Amino acid sequence: MFETLRALSSGFAGAFALHNLGWALVGTTLGTAIGVLPGIGPALTVAVLLPVTFNLDPISAFIMFGGIYSGAMYGGSTTSILLNTPGETGSIATAIDGYMMARQGRGAAALTTAAVGSFVAGTLATVALTFFAPALASAALRFGPAEYFALTVVAFTTVSLLLGPSRVKGLFSLFLGLSVGLVGIDQLTGDARFSFGIPQLLDGIDVVILVIGLFAVGETLFQAWQYGRSEPEAVVLHDFTGMSRDEWRRSWGSWLRGAAIGFPLGVLPCGGTVIPTFVSYATEKRLSKEPERFGHGAIEGVAGPEAANNAAAAGVLVPLLTLGLPSSATAAVMLAAFQQYGLQPGPLLFTSRPDLVWTLIASLYIGNVMLLVLNLPLVGVWARVMLMPRRLLFAGVLVLASLGAYSLNGSLLDLAILYLVGVVGCAMRIYDVPLVPAVLGLVLGPLSELQFRRAMAISEGDISIFVTRPISLVLLLVAAMLLLGSRLLTRKLATAETGL
Amino acid sequence: MHRALTTIVFCLAATGVVAAQQPHLDQLRLIAPAAPGGGWDQTARVMQQVLQRSGIVRTAPVENIPGAAGTIGLARFVGSEQGRDDAVLVSGLIMLGGIVMHRSPVTLHEVTPIARLTGEYEAIVVPANSPFRTLADMIRALKERPEALSWGGGSAGGSDQILAGLVAEAVGVPPGRINYVAFSGGGESLSAILGGQVSLGINGLAELEPQIQAGTVRALAVSSAERLLGLDVPTLREQGVDLEFENWRSVVAPPGIGARERQRLESVIAAMVATPEWRDALARYRWIDRYLPGEKFSQFVDGEETRVRTTLMQLDTGQGSGGTLASVGAYPAFVLTGLAICAIAALVVGRGATAATPRPRIALSGTVWWIGVALVVNLAMAESIGFVPASTAMFWLTARAFDDRHPMRDAVFAVVMAIGAYLLFGRLLQLPLPAGPLEGWL
Repeated sequence: MFETLRALSSGFAGAFALHNLGWALVGTTLGTAIGVLPGIGPALTVAVLLPVTFNLDPISAFIMFGGIYSGAMYGGSTTSILLNTPGETGSIATAIDGYMMARQGRGAAALTTAAVGSFVAGTLATVALTFFAPALASAALRFGPAEYFALTVVAFTTVSLLLGPSRVKGLFSLFLGLSVGLVGIDQLTGDARFSFGIPQLLDGIDVVILVIGLFAVGETLFQAWQYGRSEPEAVVLHDFTGMSRDEWRRSWGSWLRGAAIGFPLGVLPCGGTVIPTFVSYATEKRLSKEPERFGHGAIEGVAGPEAANNAAAAGVLVPLLTLGLPSSATAAVMLAAFQQYGLQPGPLLFTSRPDLVWTLIASLYIGNVMLLVLNLPLVGVWARVMLMPRRLLFAGVLVLASLGAYSLNGSLLDLAILYLVGVVGCAMRIYDVPLVPAVLGLVLGPLSELQFRRAMAISEGDISIFVTRPISLVLLLVAAMLLLGSRLLTRKLATAETGL
Repeated sequence: MHRALTTIVFCLAATGVVAAQQPHLDQLRLIAPAAPGGGWDQTARVMQQVLQRSGIVRTAPVENIPGAAGTIGLARFVGSEQGRDDAVLVSGLIMLGGIVMHRSPVTLHEVTPIARLTGEYEAIVVPANSPFRTLADMIRALKERPEALSWGGGSAGGSDQILAGLVAEAVGVPPGRINYVAFSGGGESLSAILGGQVSLGINGLAELEPQIQAGTVRALAVSSAERLLGLDVPTLREQGVDLEFENWRSVVAPPGIGARERQRLESVIAAMVATPEWRDALARYRWIDRYLPGEKFSQFVDGEETRVRTTLMQLDTGQGSGGTLASVGAYPAFVLTGLAICAIAALVVGRGATAATPRPRIALSGTVWWIGVALVVNLAMAESIGFVPASTAMFWLTARAFDDRHPMRDAVFAVVMAIGAYLLFGRLLQLPLPAGPLEGWL
C-alpha cells in the first residue's frame, strides 16, 4: 500500500510539469471534440495521433492519450443529452432520460450530473485501478464463455424494464434488433449469414449506425413528420445554472452505484460499455421510489449510466496493464502505443517499467480533473444549444450523423443503411414502438450467441456447463430473480436502502 | 491543418538524418484493410512513420478499411484504385484465409505484388497448470480423442486456425475433428488461455512471448524453422511435427499499373526496409524481417495460397463440436420465429387497441419530404461532388423542412457548417471524407 502510494506520487511528479498539463489540455479538448461526433471513438483518434506523438517523450504522449480517452467518454454524453444522438454505445442509456431533461429545460442539470458523475466515478475507478488491479485481473480470468453467456442473460433482463407501456411492442423491438444482429460472418465458423452477397455486410451492421439512425435521423424525421413548420410546443423555461440541491442529493447514490457497477464490468471484456451502463440504468430504476419518472427525465437515469461508463473505461485498463490483454479497441491502440516506446505490456510491465505505468495512471487522475475544470463552466453554454432554432439544430444533426456514419468505413452503403434505419426509427416512433430494446438486441444478441456456442464447443455439447460452473450458475440465478421475483426484490432492496 | 501536423513531424525529424535525401515520391497512401490497433494497421502506421521521417515519401496518410479478414479492403482497393500508382494495400496470410473463407470474388491475383515485409511466428501454449508438459503429451491426447481438446485462437480462417489444421494433419489427425474455438482478437483468446478456459492456445508469438517469459503459460512449441534466440522453446520440427509456419505481412499495389510505376513502388519499399528506422521498428514490434520483393514474392504467395486453401477445405469449419443447439442455424431460426410471433402479436394487439380506444392520429406534415430529398441528394452527391457541397445541400434542404422563411441566411449557415466540419474532422483529425475539387482547394 505504502509502496503503491510512493510509486503513484513519483508518477504524479512526472506528470505535473507545465508542458505536460498543456498536453493534458490538448488531449481532453480533442477527445471531447471526437466524442461529440457520432461514430468516431477514442481508438481511431489515438491511432491517428500515434505517429505525431512519436517525437514526444512517452510521459507527455500518455498524458495526452489519457485525456483523449476520458474526453471522448464525456463528449459522447453531451450530444446524447442535448441532441438525442449518442456519440458512442456507452452513452445510449444516457440519452433516454438526459434528452428528456434537456427538452424540459434542465439540460444544464443533466450535463452537470454527467460531468461530476464522470469525474467521481472516473476517480474512484482510477483509485481501484491503482490499488487492486492485479487481484481484479486474476478474478476476471475465471470468466470463461459460460460465465460471459450468463452475464449477457443478466443484461437481457434489463430489457424487461425498458419495454415501455406495451410489452408486445417492446418485444417486437427487441427481436428486430436481434434480427439485425444476425447479419454478417458467424465468428465461430466463418460462414456468412444474411449478407445477401454484399461484401460490406459481411462484418454486420455497425451498432453505431443503428444507434445514430434510430435516434438522430429518426428523431429528425419524426419532428418534421409530426410538426413540420409549426412550432411544436411553447418554449419551456430553461435553467442554465446546473443542479438544484435536490438533484445533488438524488445524484450521489447513483454516481457511487454507477462506479461500483461500471468498474468490475469494465474489467471483464464483454461488449464494452453497453452492459455496465444499462445494468446501472436498470438498477437505478429498480431502486427508485418513483420508477415511473424514468423515461421522462429522471436525473438518476443520467447520473448512474454516466458514472458507469467512465468507471468501465478505467476498468478496461486493468487487464491491459496487469496482464497485457487488450479488451477493447482503445486498449488495443494503447497497446500499440506502448510498443511504439519499445515496451511489451504483459505480466511483467509493472515491474519492468513502473515509471510509465504509474505516469499513465497519474495522467488519468489529471485527465479527470481537467475534464471537470473545462466542462463545468461550459455546461450553461452547451445547454443553450436547446435555444437554437429547430431548423438549424436538426440540419446540423443530420450533417454530423452522416459524417460520422460515413467516416466509420468510408462507405456510401453505410450512409444508405443509416438513412434506411432512420426511416424505420421514425416509423417506430409513430407507432409507439420503443427504440432502446432494438439497440440492446443488436448489441447483446450476437455476443450472447457467440459465448453460448463457445461454451458448448468447449463442453462438447453438454448444456449442463452453465449450471455446473459456480459463477455462471450464480449469474443465471440473479437473472431469474430479476425477471421473476422483481417485485419482491424491489421491496427488499428499497428497505435495505433506507436501512443504510 | 493536416499539412501543419506533417510540418510539425518534419521539423522534429529534420534535426536527425533526413535533410540530404531527396524524396522519391510526393504522396503514397497506405491502406490498412483492418481497424486501428491490429497487425495490418500497425504495419501501415509504422510504414507511415518510416517513410515520412526518412524523407522517402513526403506524406503517407493511412486509411483504414476494416472488415472480413481484409477482403472488404481488398475488394475496394481493386475496385477504386485501378491503375493508380500512389496507393499500396497492406496484406498478408490472413487475407488469403479470408479470401477462401468468405469466397471472396476478388483475390490476390488481381493486385500487383510489391513485396513481403515481415513475419510473425506462432506458438502453441498451455495454461501453467495444464497436465501437458511437452508437445508429445498433447499429441498423445489429441490422437486419443481429438474433440476433447479445445484450441483457443484468433478468428475463424485466420493464421491460428490454419496452423491448428496443419499440425493436426502432420500428426495424422483429421483436421475436421479439431475442436477449434475462435475468439476475436488477441486479448480475448489470450484471456481464455490464461484462465484455463480452453485446453490449449495457439497465437502469435509477439502476443504470447511476455506471458511465456512471465511463466503464466507454458509454451509447447514454436512454428519457426530454428530455435529462436532468447526463447527456450523447442520448434515443431524438433518434436517430430514436420512443418514451419509464419504469419507474414506484405504490401501490394493496385491492378493495372505500368512496369515503371511498379518499379518505382518497389524501389520505395526497398529504400524503406533499408533505413535504420525500419530496423528499429522491427525490433520494437518483434517482427521478423522477411523482405522478399517482386517475382519471388508472387511465387511465394502462390505456394501459400495452395497450402491455405487445402488446409481450410479440410477443416470443414461448418461442423462445430457443440451439438445441434450450437450449430450455425439454430439461433437465427429462434430469432426469426420470435420476430414473426411478436410482429403478429403486435398487429393483433394494435388492432384490438384501436377498436377499443381510437388513438389520436398523428397529422402528417407535408414538409417531411424535404428531408427525404435532402438525404437522397446527400447520397447522390457525397462521393461524386464532395463532402462540402453535399453537406451544404443537405443542411439547407433539411432546414427548409422546418422553416422556409430564411433561405439566404440558412445557405450561409449551411456553407459555414459544412466547411467547419470538413476542416475539423477531415483535415485536423484526418477522417476519410469524400473530397471533390472544392475540398482540394480548401
